[in-house]
Amino acid sequence: MKNKVFEVKDLRFRYAKSNVEAVCGISFDVYEGEIFGLLGPSGAGKSTTQKIMTKLFRDYQGEILYYGKDLKTYSNAYYEDLGVGFELPVHFSKLTGLENMKFFSQLYKQRANIETLLDQVGLLEDKDRMVGEYSKGMKMRLNFVRALLNNPKILFLDEVTNGLDPKNARIIKDLIRAFKADGGTVFLTTHLMNDVEELCDRVAFIREGEIVEIATPRALKIKHGNREVRVEYFSNGKTEEAVYDLDGIGENEAFLKLIKDKEIETIHSGETSLDDIFIKVTKAKSDA
Amino acid sequence: MHNFSVLLKGEMQRLLRYKILQISFVVTLLWLGVLFLIGSEHVGDFVPLFIFMDVSMMTVLLVGANLFFEKQENTLKTLLITPSDFFALIASKFVASLYLGLQSTVFIALFALFMFDVSIAFVWLMMFVLLITFAHTALGFTFTVYVKDFNGLLAFIIFYMFIFAFPSIFYALGILPSSAEVWLMFSPTHASLLMIDFAFGVSVSWWLLVIGSVYLVLLSLFLIRFVVSPKYVETAVRE
Ligand SMILES: Nc1ncnc2c1ncn2[C@@H]1O[C@H](COP(=O)(O)OP(=O)(O)OP(=O)(O)O)[C@@H](O)[C@H]1O
Ligand SMILES: [Mg+2]
Repeated sequence: MKNKVFEVKDLRFRYAKSNVEAVCGISFDVYEGEIFGLLGPSGAGKSTTQKIMTKLFRDYQGEILYYGKDLKTYSNAYYEDLGVGFELPVHFSKLTGLENMKFFSQLYKQRANIETLLDQVGLLEDKDRMVGEYSKGMKMRLNFVRALLNNPKILFLDEVTNGLDPKNARIIKDLIRAFKADGGTVFLTTHLMNDVEELCDRVAFIREGEIVEIATPRALKIKHGNREVRVEYFSNGKTEEAVYDLDGIGENEAFLKLIKDKEIETIHSGETSLDDIFIKVTKAKSDA
Repeated sequence: MHNFSVLLKGEMQRLLRYKILQISFVVTLLWLGVLFLIGSEHVGDFVPLFIFMDVSMMTVLLVGANLFFEKQENTLKTLLITPSDFFALIASKFVASLYLGLQSTVFIALFALFMFDVSIAFVWLMMFVLLITFAHTALGFTFTVYVKDFNGLLAFIIFYMFIFAFPSIFYALGILPSSAEVWLMFSPTHASLLMIDFAFGVSVSWWLLVIGSVYLVLLSLFLIRFVVSPKYVETAVRE
């Protein structure tokens, strides 16, 4: 069994001026070396959970263990381990990209090579421009570099591909995978199922501050899919369709005869897309 | 105080880049221009007043502007997720603010000295100006964590100056008895003005200066400990 990086137990949090809990008793573990995705609709409590785990909000209820020890007992040295990518750009607009990175880098003991990182996300040529002149996508890429400045062990990423074109989103996703391949742990929040499909080892769905599902993307697809096989075949000059039960498919004579005799066009098992699962499991309690 | 020197270097770099240093300098030049127009006969009365305005109102304003800029850019929040000590974060901003206050004071004082031969107790002036700027930096932080935007801050500053100007005016007009002066020291503005006056040769009883100084220190520490510290993170994280 892999090491647990985080153990979150019955976590609750209420904003000062609010009378409902933004996070109402969630529990989950994050294992070393995995990419864990927290998914859910807007306002579900994803960013709030991330802010609690990064110790920005400290008066929560419940317990968070970091490598088996209460998070509250860690000093600010905790942040030496962490790379945090916020959902909005976080830079000094009147400093250049490089000046920003140099400033933040000096705050850490471990320092990655800034120019290498900038090069990896395609910002090396723009390093001497004021961040205020960057486009949104450029700022988000700089956010990502900012998160990696201290060679972190754990990456927290909030909507990291937000505002990126497909090419740049691909670059970031490749870097996240490379980070994981080097033994890093990733906690990411998103509502883009595409990212989840490509990146996440395990996902938790959060709805109105509660976790409603937690599993691997594959297990979820199987669980929420129909256990059936849909076959499209060509017969009598047109395309026909037949549906069979997935259970016992190997002994299903009709199915076996069909695939033996007919010209098959497509075969699909009935697992649903993550998009459909997202909509299904995060449907508000009120309209369930 | 982990990371204090890096943070301070960053603050100073940004004072330049965000043109706060330049703005502060232009304001100082304006004071100098006005002093020049006032001429030698009355300049002695106005120098302490202008220094006071610079290290009180301008300090609050610049501290607030700086915090709002940073909040807008979400950098207050980013700094909170670095290994820096919380105290070092605040202290670096205080020192940058003290630097601005001292710079204006030195320019105004030197101008008064060389142009008009105004007599100045320099050591006292610098000490008191540091104290007054410190207190008004704490007030600037306090106001900023309570208001939503820059306009809110302006309203707060005007209100503050207005409220605390009254007792001093009443006192000057003789409406309040002279025994009331000890109570006036609890107005940060009155205490500040008296201290600066003292550095320019006005006779002020030593115990009023002691009360004023102790009060400004205690007020600042109280605000930092019980208002700024608890509310700073909330201000920084709120979007
Ligand atoms: N500063 C705040 N004060 C009061 N309530 C807040 C505050 N910030 C967030 N909330 C509330 O807490 C809940 C969770 O918000 P959160 O930002 O965690 O959502 P999210 O899942 O990250 O959404 P999104 O996908 O839109 O980023 C929402 O109902 C939101 O209105
Ligand atoms: Mg969010």
